[in-house]
Amino acid sequence: MTDSLNSPLAWINGSDAPELNSIDVGFMALTDSASLIVAATQGFAQPYGLNINLRRQPSWSALRDKLVNQELHAAHSLYGLIYAAQLGIGGPATDMAVLMGLNQNGQSINLSSALKNESVVTPEALELRTHQSETKLTFAQTLPTGNHAMWLYYWLASQGIHPLQDVDSVVVPPAQMVDHLQAQRIDGFCVGEPWGARAVSQNLGFTLATSQTIWPDHPEKVLGCSREFVQQYPNTARALVMAVLDASRFIEQSLDNRRSTAQMLSGADYVNAPVEDIEARLLGEYSDGLGNHWQDHHALSFHRKGQVNMPYLSDGMWFMTQFRRWGLLREDPDYLAVARQVQQLALYRQAAEALDISVPSDAMRSSQLIDGKVWDGSDPAGYARSFTLHALADCAPVAADH
Amino acid sequence: MLRILLINDTAKKVGRLKSALTEAGFEVIDESGLVIDLPKRVEAVRPDVILIDTESPSRDVMEQVVLVTRDQPRPIVMFTDEHDPGVMRQAIKSGVSAYIVEGIYAQRLQPILDVAMARFESDQDLRAQLHARDQQLAERKRIETAKGLLMKMKSCNEEEAYTLMRRQAMSRQQKLIQVAEQIIAMSELLG
Repeated sequence: MTDSLNSPLAWINGSDAPELNSIDVGFMALTDSASLIVAATQGFAQPYGLNINLRRQPSWSALRDKLVNQELHAAHSLYGLIYAAQLGIGGPATDMAVLMGLNQNGQSINLSSALKNESVVTPEALELRTHQSETKLTFAQTLPTGNHAMWLYYWLASQGIHPLQDVDSVVVPPAQMVDHLQAQRIDGFCVGEPWGARAVSQNLGFTLATSQTIWPDHPEKVLGCSREFVQQYPNTARALVMAVLDASRFIEQSLDNRRSTAQMLSGADYVNAPVEDIEARLLGEYSDGLGNHWQDHHALSFHRKGQVNMPYLSDGMWFMTQFRRWGLLREDPDYLAVARQVQQLALYRQAAEALDISVPSDAMRSSQLIDGKVWDGSDPAGYARSFTLHALADCAPVAADH
Repeated sequence: MLRILLINDTAKKVGRLKSALTEAGFEVIDESGLVIDLPKRVEAVRPDVILIDTESPSRDVMEQVVLVTRDQPRPIVMFTDEHDPGVMRQAIKSGVSAYIVEGIYAQRLQPILDVAMARFESDQDLRAQLHARDQQLAERKRIETAKGLLMKMKSCNEEEAYTLMRRQAMSRQQKLIQVAEQIIAMSELLG
């Protein structure tokens, strides 16, 4: 990295200017990378003297490895990816950091047209199909410890389907989901947009559930980095958060801004998908491929006056409770202590306040999920153990990356 | 194995460096007298390091060093008999990573090359950072200029001008700087 001469000078001068002028930031081809892409390309970081070089990654595991090795300074990341790296699941334990939330909502569980032809178009029909048929269905998610695995498992379990016993799981990078569905290698998948919308528009599948039906306004992608990066270059990290916050606010300022964001994303260097597949769900307009159309009240959001961006401790802790529930963690971690180290609340607060974005005073939030359970961060170990369907450590752990 | 390009700018046909390098186990991939277009030579033979053997570096030599540093940056080590500190300073300023006066000993070549390589890398990093900063500053100025032009043309405020430029850029999958350049070009055209 090209920084040896700048950081001590910045410190000596007592300046809060970024220690680095140029940073490499990873992202995956997904609609929810929008605020990062807009920040990098539309001059949001320039006022801070920072240049954001976007680096698209082929898979979440590739992105994780580069983030951990610091080949990338920061990245559009999954909550589950950051916490698995922190806890050493599927790789060496590395101290990680969540700088801010990038978005809420906007993921979906989709099934193949073949299942639609068998009239497996409701959760009940899927439950019957999994328990009465001799062949197991295969579902794809994007990383064994990723958000999509956790949404898929949570949703299946809420319908009485054991995600580790009643179905098979495979890992497929987001942009390849639709091809895998077409090749009939998978029966369904859970992924971020536009890949669910793409399956619907290509008549290859239908959307059975959105992630916001599992947890309205659930935490999703974050701006992640190694702890070393944020400790070594705090001013750079803060400038990056400010640029992305500003871009998030810009995207939601008007319908025109959202529309042009969809057009930008569709470019070959970014999501590389037709604008029609990106735009509708970015505007909250859903069609499920079964003839239902609706305006979603908990669609993909990037800012909502900062509510989306706050790195709540309880959001980070939730992913650890699910790792525990599904046997990825054999013992309870110190949920609160780990989240306090990972979630960079103080840095986020500085950045948000500098932009007049209000910061909630409570670092925990309370939500009710699809199975009726309330998650508020108050008893993580008890919550992890409270589910009827689980794979708590007495069972074999889930297969790691492949 | 380091690929060495040797430039012999001495009166002797076979320079003293060649034998010292061979003795120390280095591979010289190309040896030539002072050529007119050193960057081109560097591009053709792709050496890891350039060694210049010269009794006294002339202006021609310095000029070649400057050109290489600009077009095909490589670590450059200069071996010379010239003691004049002024000439040495001039050589370093031109882009020479190490300036070695008198005495070529085979056993000293490795550490000399190591230092030159390290020096070169740190110089390159600094250059890249400075270049990035300059470019950033230039881009920022261009965007400011375009914003000002747009504010005048559309009679709008600063924030509206930025929003218009960004929307235009995004709907064409371009960066803000590209739209800024288009606005400036258009305004020059329309005078």
